[in-house]
Amino acid sequence: MTDLGPEPWLRLDPRMLLVHPVREVVRFLPALVGLLVAGGASGAGAWTLLGVVVPVGLGVVRYLTTSYRIAAGRVELRRGLLRRHTLSTPIDRVRTVDLSATLVHRVLGLSTVVLGTGSVSADADERLELDALPQPQAVALRGQLLQAGRSTESASDGTPATALPSRTVARFEPRWLWYAPFTGAGLVAAAALIGALAQGMEMFDLRVALSEEDVSTVTGAVAVTALLTVLVLSAALAVIGYLVLNWGFTLSQEGGAWHVRRGLLTTRETSLDEARVAGVARGEPAALRLARGARLSAIATGLERSRERSILVPPAPAGIVAVAASEVLGTAAPMHAPLRPHGRAAVRRRYTRALTGSVPFVIGTAGAVAAGASVWWLLVAVVAVCVALGLARDRALALGHCLVDGFVVTRSGSLLRQRDALATGHVIGWTFRDSWFQRRVGLLTLEATTAGGRGRVGVPDVPAAEAIELADACVPGLVSQFTAPSRS
Amino acid sequence: MWLVECAARSGVLVVGLFVTTGLWDWLPARWWAVGAALVLAAGYVALVPLWRFAVHRWEVTETAVYTQRGWWTRERRIAPMSRVQTVDLTQGVLARAFGLASVTVTTASAAGPLRIEGLDRVVALRLVDDLTSKAGLVEGDAT
Repeated sequence: MTDLGPEPWLRLDPRMLLVHPVREVVRFLPALVGLLVAGGASGAGAWTLLGVVVPVGLGVVRYLTTSYRIAAGRVELRRGLLRRHTLSTPIDRVRTVDLSATLVHRVLGLSTVVLGTGSVSADADERLELDALPQPQAVALRGQLLQAGRSTESASDGTPATALPSRTVARFEPRWLWYAPFTGAGLVAAAALIGALAQGMEMFDLRVALSEEDVSTVTGAVAVTALLTVLVLSAALAVIGYLVLNWGFTLSQEGGAWHVRRGLLTTRETSLDEARVAGVARGEPAALRLARGARLSAIATGLERSRERSILVPPAPAGIVAVAASEVLGTAAPMHAPLRPHGRAAVRRRYTRALTGSVPFVIGTAGAVAAGASVWWLLVAVVAVCVALGLARDRALALGHCLVDGFVVTRSGSLLRQRDALATGHVIGWTFRDSWFQRRVGLLTLEATTAGGRGRVGVPDVPAAEAIELADACVPGLVSQFTAPSRS
Repeated sequence: MWLVECAARSGVLVVGLFVTTGLWDWLPARWWAVGAALVLAAGYVALVPLWRFAVHRWEVTETAVYTQRGWWTRERRIAPMSRVQTVDLTQGVLARAFGLASVTVTTASAAGPLRIEGLDRVVALRLVDDLTSKAGLVEGDAT
């Protein structure tokens, strides 16, 4: 490793000497409190001192043992005191650069740099993370890495990337907060909060005594109030969460890369090399769709399974999302082109599947009524069937695919509707899957595999002939060579 | 290269399925439940391996790899040769007893490794060599 060149090893910023101890102290806080209590009881102050010295010492050691350099076309990172760990990666394999800064970092003018290389390994040890560099230096490093990656890849391009001006495509507006309650994130937060409260009550033995009488006095009004409280609470939490995550959001294009900047307390800045963006996925969960909103995320190499980093636009007005999508893809067609519906068989299959889901309700309530329960229970069955029919109708309407401007576009789902657009150049394989039922009606589930995102873009119940036609049109000659001998 | 059929896969599956039936018997259930399970398992053992054998296919051309597997749900996968990243040859205990091997072809996608199971060992080795040399000929970083 050391004979790669005379390039000196660089250290992280000395100001990290302040950040690490603070973080370590926070992490050691329970132990510290314990030590303080024990120390106070026995009157020994020396132990308390140890509790402070150890974390500070750890911080210093980490600073002294971590160094990095960029030499001979590689990024190298060295760390560890007892277990030396050297990571080395070619610069042209750097797909994404992520700058983030917590509150402490921001006060000191630092930011953490994380490099995404498209490696499938999820091991924390294998992450290329520089924690942390001074802000200007981090930005300079990002520019250097992204540009180096591009120049080795497409040297024939000729145009210097820095000449391109910075261009903002989408920017946070306060009215986006309106979409926060429709995301479901608030509900999760509220549930977590209620769970934590319940646990806290148990911890302090504040058990609420609920007798039979209490339960019988719980009237409809009380239940409605409780429900409303939960709704309002979750909406409020969702708005707060949205603010903290997405405050100051901007999506901009600069120097051949897309930059996403957001965060109220911890600021995050993700940069995606343009050439690495294989496509976009527009998510429209049912609730968000009702509010005429949508969210957009990128399908790109170097972002495996990390939803946080692939977000291009958080829940926002559908119009803004559409504009951002067409900017990122370079064409508006994939998000607007009419999709080819999948035909009667696929629609029928949606209805059968949804109705099968409601069968247990029908049988259950019918059985209960037969056993002597109130006839009103049948209402449950009716509601279940209606919900199933509604879902099926929506799902059937959603199904569609097309090939336009060099993008495979697919759309499916009702509660979690998603429209994906993937550039054909990034398709690295096809999967056709059909169950016995699907084979009977001549449908199959088509999936295009790709290196980024979840690794696939798929749509269920495509008529078989159309699926093969689509796959063949995307990557000419790949599929046809197999259809000829085995199908004729 | 044209469509090649592989042999003797069902033997492995039969043994594997007998193991599962053995496990079912350990469940504390009434005799008729066990009986029904046995009948079902016998049917499964008799039919599914044949079905599987009838479905499983693989094919390699100059530019792509194609596999078809499954029985109830059939899955066909195609990967262009230029996107092949690694080629693995694995042999389990049972497979070794039968002189078989499986070949796994991975691409950069998290979702799409192509598996070819129950190949004759010699055929599998030849296939691995063939694939590696072909994949090596194509330029690019396979992502």
